[in-house]
Amino acid sequence: MKNENIIELNDISTTYEGERIPVIKNINLQIKKGEFVSVIGPNGAGKTTLLETINGLLDYKEGMGLVFGRKIKKNKTFIRRNTGYVIQNFEIDSLAPFLCKDIVMSGRSGKIGLFRFAKKTDWEKVWQSMSLVGMIDFAKRPIGKLSGGEFQKIILARALAQDPDLLLLDEPLSNLDLTSRKQIETLLNRIHEKKKITIIMVSHDLTYVPANCSRVLVLDKGKIIMDDKKEKILHSDTIEKIFKKNDLRGT
Amino acid sequence: MGNFVVRMNLSSIGYCMSHAAFAGAAFGLLISVDPMLTAVLFSIITAMVLGPLAEKARLESNVVIGFMFSFMIAIAFIFLYAKPGEAATGKALSILWGSLFSVDFNDVIFLGFLSFILIIFIVVFYKELLSVMFNRKMAESAGINTRIFYFAVLFFTGFAVALSLKIVGGLLVFALIINPTSTAYQFFFDFKKIMIFSPIVGIVSCLSGFYISFIFDFPIGASIVIISSVIFAISIMISPKRRKGKK
Repeated sequence: MKNENIIELNDISTTYEGERIPVIKNINLQIKKGEFVSVIGPNGAGKTTLLETINGLLDYKEGMGLVFGRKIKKNKTFIRRNTGYVIQNFEIDSLAPFLCKDIVMSGRSGKIGLFRFAKKTDWEKVWQSMSLVGMIDFAKRPIGKLSGGEFQKIILARALAQDPDLLLLDEPLSNLDLTSRKQIETLLNRIHEKKKITIIMVSHDLTYVPANCSRVLVLDKGKIIMDDKKEKILHSDTIEKIFKKNDLRGT
Repeated sequence: MGNFVVRMNLSSIGYCMSHAAFAGAAFGLLISVDPMLTAVLFSIITAMVLGPLAEKARLESNVVIGFMFSFMIAIAFIFLYAKPGEAATGKALSILWGSLFSVDFNDVIFLGFLSFILIIFIVVFYKELLSVMFNRKMAESAGINTRIFYFAVLFFTGFAVALSLKIVGGLLVFALIINPTSTAYQFFFDFKKIMIFSPIVGIVSCLSGFYISFIFDFPIGASIVIISSVIFAISIMISPKRRKGKK
């Protein structure tokens, strides 16, 4: 892969269908293999749109985007099968008829492919992912009966079962209590260290940028307004500068 | 198919299909073709257009189903208006009620064939269907073409409803799809177990309903649906899943 860039976005603008104003505008971004990047910004800044554009869930209208060295628009299936994606604010009803192990396996469904059944090796990936997040004992538990933190760990295990090269996390710490947040944060650091996966984590809360995260992007009104090392962005002057304009939680 | 319909929140598709069948029957009477044939045809066409229409209009499936439901009943009345006479109206309405005694060998063959196709479909694509049912967006992000499976569920449900019209009728067939699944939901967290248990509930409902209709001289379809509804109501009351503190 050229320059080991796992993501290259050149002048990307994404507009929702039927709308005229782009949600993200002229985004230029290079992310190297193994980087742990946090994307922060207020609600409506375009953070989720950025992740969905990278994953090909939303088509960009302008510019050119490469993920794993391949054009996003022409390689959506390949990119998605190699990218673990944790979506935002995802909840499930308590009577949902799914066991944790089946949900984790569902992360591998795309990778296994059509007309193929899960093999022993696929189940091994499931058990490994569940062990990594410390949820192996929950394999046969109903997903709807888990606490917020446990649920988020299973969703993370689901993404990891894909054996991804890239992990996109959309507000994985929101709606969690303090203890659960700390647990998930520690877990993300462990995953990054052990698996050497490139991680992009979206958050609207500055207080939860994991220790392993080295780079922070600040998104506002669809544009990257800051892109620097964590220490430089999470500096009191910068924080004041960013958050004077925006009413953010956790500042 | 009820398992997927309940989980994907598509319950109102039943009303839509039954009224599409009603419109189809009215159309058949208008052009002097077997009303059952046109009823099945209308149901299948409706099932095929529902998904793409919902996606094109960027609306919830249930909104489009509601639109199609009223549209179908409107054109049914226009067809019946164009072919006046109580006999025609009665024949069209019989599609809504159905009759087990009108079922012939060909119908049984058709239903058997459909069941075989559905079993193959579910076995081959189980992992994709489970993923889509859990969360469509997450399934999409894992590299599954969710649109195909979503449309397939709508289509096969419509097809199953269409072929069951003769037996229990358009109005009652959906209760038979929804009730056994909803009953099974009260007892299991494992989707595979629900898929095994719900047809058993369906068979028990059918046989008990048949027996009751025979004893009390009630209409068969109505008896079956009442039995399946009673079983569902009891299952809610005794559901182990609903007990507080149950993990």
